[in-house]
Amino acid sequence: MTSDTPEWAYAAALASLPLQTHRRLRLLITRGSPSDVWDKVLHHKIVAPSLEPHVLQAWSTASSCLPRQMHERCLTIETQVVSLHDAAYPNVLRADPDAPAVLFVRGNLEALEQRRVAIIGTRKATQAGRHFAASLGQQLSTLGVAVVSGLARGIDVHAHRGVERASNDGATGKAIAVVASGLDVVYPREHVQLWNWVASHGALISESPPGTSPEAFRFPLRNRILAGISEVVVVVESTEAGGSMITVREAEKRGVTVLAVPGSPTLHTSQGTNALLRDGCAPVTHVDDVLVALGLDTSRQHGFVDQRVTPMGLCADVLSQLVGEPRTIDWLAICLGESVFAVAVALGRLEQSGWVTQTSGWWEALVAYSQS
Amino acid sequence: MYAAVKTAALLGAQGHPLVVEVHVGVGIPGFTVVGLPDESCRESRDRVRAALLSSELPWPNRRITVNLAGAGERKGGAAADLAIAVALLVAQDVLSQESTEAHAFLAELGLDGSLRTVAGAAPMVSAVAMHDVVVSPGNHAEALIASPRQLRAVDTLAHLVRCLRGDDAWPSVIQVEEQEDVYVVADLAEVSGQAWARHALEVSATGMHHLLLVGPPGAGKSMLARRLPGILPALTHEDALASAMVHSAAGVESAGALRTSPPFRSPHHSASMVAMVGGGSSYMRPGEVSLASGGVLFLDEMGEFAPTVLDALRQPLEEGVIRLSRARHSLTMPAKFLLVGASNPCPCGDIRPGMCRCTDSDHRRYQRRFSGPLIDRFDLCVHVDRPSADALVHAGGGESTALVAARVLAARKRAVDRQGCPNALLLHDQLDIFAAITTQARALLHAELEKGILTGRGYHRIRRVARTLADLANDTDVDRDHVDIALRMRSALVRPHEAGSYR
Repeated sequence: MTSDTPEWAYAAALASLPLQTHRRLRLLITRGSPSDVWDKVLHHKIVAPSLEPHVLQAWSTASSCLPRQMHERCLTIETQVVSLHDAAYPNVLRADPDAPAVLFVRGNLEALEQRRVAIIGTRKATQAGRHFAASLGQQLSTLGVAVVSGLARGIDVHAHRGVERASNDGATGKAIAVVASGLDVVYPREHVQLWNWVASHGALISESPPGTSPEAFRFPLRNRILAGISEVVVVVESTEAGGSMITVREAEKRGVTVLAVPGSPTLHTSQGTNALLRDGCAPVTHVDDVLVALGLDTSRQHGFVDQRVTPMGLCADVLSQLVGEPRTIDWLAICLGESVFAVAVALGRLEQSGWVTQTSGWWEALVAYSQS
Repeated sequence: MYAAVKTAALLGAQGHPLVVEVHVGVGIPGFTVVGLPDESCRESRDRVRAALLSSELPWPNRRITVNLAGAGERKGGAAADLAIAVALLVAQDVLSQESTEAHAFLAELGLDGSLRTVAGAAPMVSAVAMHDVVVSPGNHAEALIASPRQLRAVDTLAHLVRCLRGDDAWPSVIQVEEQEDVYVVADLAEVSGQAWARHALEVSATGMHHLLLVGPPGAGKSMLARRLPGILPALTHEDALASAMVHSAAGVESAGALRTSPPFRSPHHSASMVAMVGGGSSYMRPGEVSLASGGVLFLDEMGEFAPTVLDALRQPLEEGVIRLSRARHSLTMPAKFLLVGASNPCPCGDIRPGMCRCTDSDHRRYQRRFSGPLIDRFDLCVHVDRPSADALVHAGGGESTALVAARVLAARKRAVDRQGCPNALLLHDQLDIFAAITTQARALLHAELEKGILTGRGYHRIRRVARTLADLANDTDVDRDHVDIALRMRSALVRPHEAGSYR
């Protein structure tokens, strides 16, 4: 053991012990400074009735170089390690009953000083849902509100894409991502660019040490941190058994306001959100609904103007039919009493001006609900 | 003790004239067939012997050598049976060499001396059409397609010998009348709703644009595809002849007459590569692509076909012919077909946004089954959904096949009068001459190209489809609306782009 290894490296080493869980880690960290605890662990001197002998056995065989290795590793990937002992540990989590004892952070934890809204939802989202998440993320960021999400496919990633876009226009609201894997294990792979963007423009947070793979059980645990650092949670789309519902339960435990975006009752992706609305959640159809929940003044002119060309004639009729539910060309033609060719041309115009999009023949409107 | 008699052999969809030489000489009694016969050819010695004996014709108990000249090429099939028997009779002076000189013989022999039908009668007869051709009565109609100098259909070997000797008159030849539609195609009027897919079918038939139908099980993809031959223009005489030759060579029942209705082939997805493109070791059988030539090749559940089989379609799709090469021979068979594929959009079948239950990896695995280059060759790619109750009630039965076929024929005629071929076969450099587009339309396509939604190949395909749409509407110019519709008709398999279009 060398004296130049900082305390935080010992905390990181404790987090990466075999058979480690967030409860065991919390128990260890609250027993003293990380380096002292590390010594005790290695010498089998930890006494706690809740720790099983085989766990203590496994811990005592851990390599004594682990703190030094973690030190180097975290420096290489520019990761900050904060434990409950550190002043830098986010205050919002300190009071949390189930708070992670050690956090790994890329980026700047000051992002947590802003007002924080989580935008979450299903990975298999509709195009309309993705669009809503992105525009909500963009508008909140423009208003200086930080957007919290999990960098999963679908709603999560689009919420942060919206923040990214707003940030390019000079918005101040930060992006905060809470992920389940280690900070050097990008999951899913295709989000690597956005992953790095969040690390450089906001905060990328995980309780898992570097190198941890994204095992399924880590996602519900991640969701509790996500709920813990948010002031308001907005569920854009979710099935009734979706992972977003875990976040919602964690949020409710902590008294965090949950809002839901209403959707068509015929879609699986709206069943979770509609159930939340039925249970008394407030609906979100506009960014103002979120601002009210945050207690922010909504009377000010935030000046969000849709810059798309307002559709006229048949295009307007087609667009109004598409709001809320995906449709096929055949359905639109029958409903509007037009020829399929006329509808196809109208859809072409709308697609070019960014009002609609399609997935394998299903057309969706990309409009916020209040505009319908 | 020597005789030579003419017959023909089959290679691919083509017949080749062949001479059967027989030598009967001194030596230990025996029967050898030389000249690279395959197993069915070598077995003809037993059939010929039995047929001669049961017809009470003499069998020489001497050394018999049969040569199928030229000796270098491999021969298969039993069509030389009759020629061998006749040559043996000539060699024994039962028949004179002169009496057989003007004839070619094409039939398999039964052990009782009867003449049996063979596969490939039409191409084989056409190879010896300058002679009087003797076939079995069952091959009569098929052989007539090749219009030989004189066709003789005889039922037994004994009868044939009597006719050749002049003891009996040749049986009279029945002329088969040319029939318009041998195959009954179901009517398009039975399809209710599906307006969009019906239009795609019409466009596909007019311009010979390959069509991919994507939709959940039970949406009516096969139902639509099976009605496509009905709206295709009738085959030209040349195409009908080529198609008949291929059908005959493959031994597919061709109902006798030359048929001008386009063929429809729908091989099961377990089809092997050889079944699809043709081939085989001894004589090369035409595959489904050749059988569908001039008509429709329908691949139901396209994702279930072996990837190698699907990839093998790419060359015939480009060239309109299939070139097969084997160690001994290489040959070319027609393969000018309209490809219609049907596929589920994803493993669960319900791709509707917010409803699909497949995981992302399920999707990726499914998409990987369709190679990009093959998908790129479809000009039209439309989504077919189960018709809603509204559609069933309001749309009712659609237009009938006859009505649509008339429109297709008129539009096809416009294209052929203009450029001599259907629009799908327009070359890149012909597009600006025959399918010029307005500035607006060009700008629209340019925007799509820049967004990366359209590939270079796709760009030309859209222009060809737009030309067909203009032909159907009887417009001389291709304008923006046509391009817009063409873009929508190719979009069902384009993966949703990330919500980048939002402002």
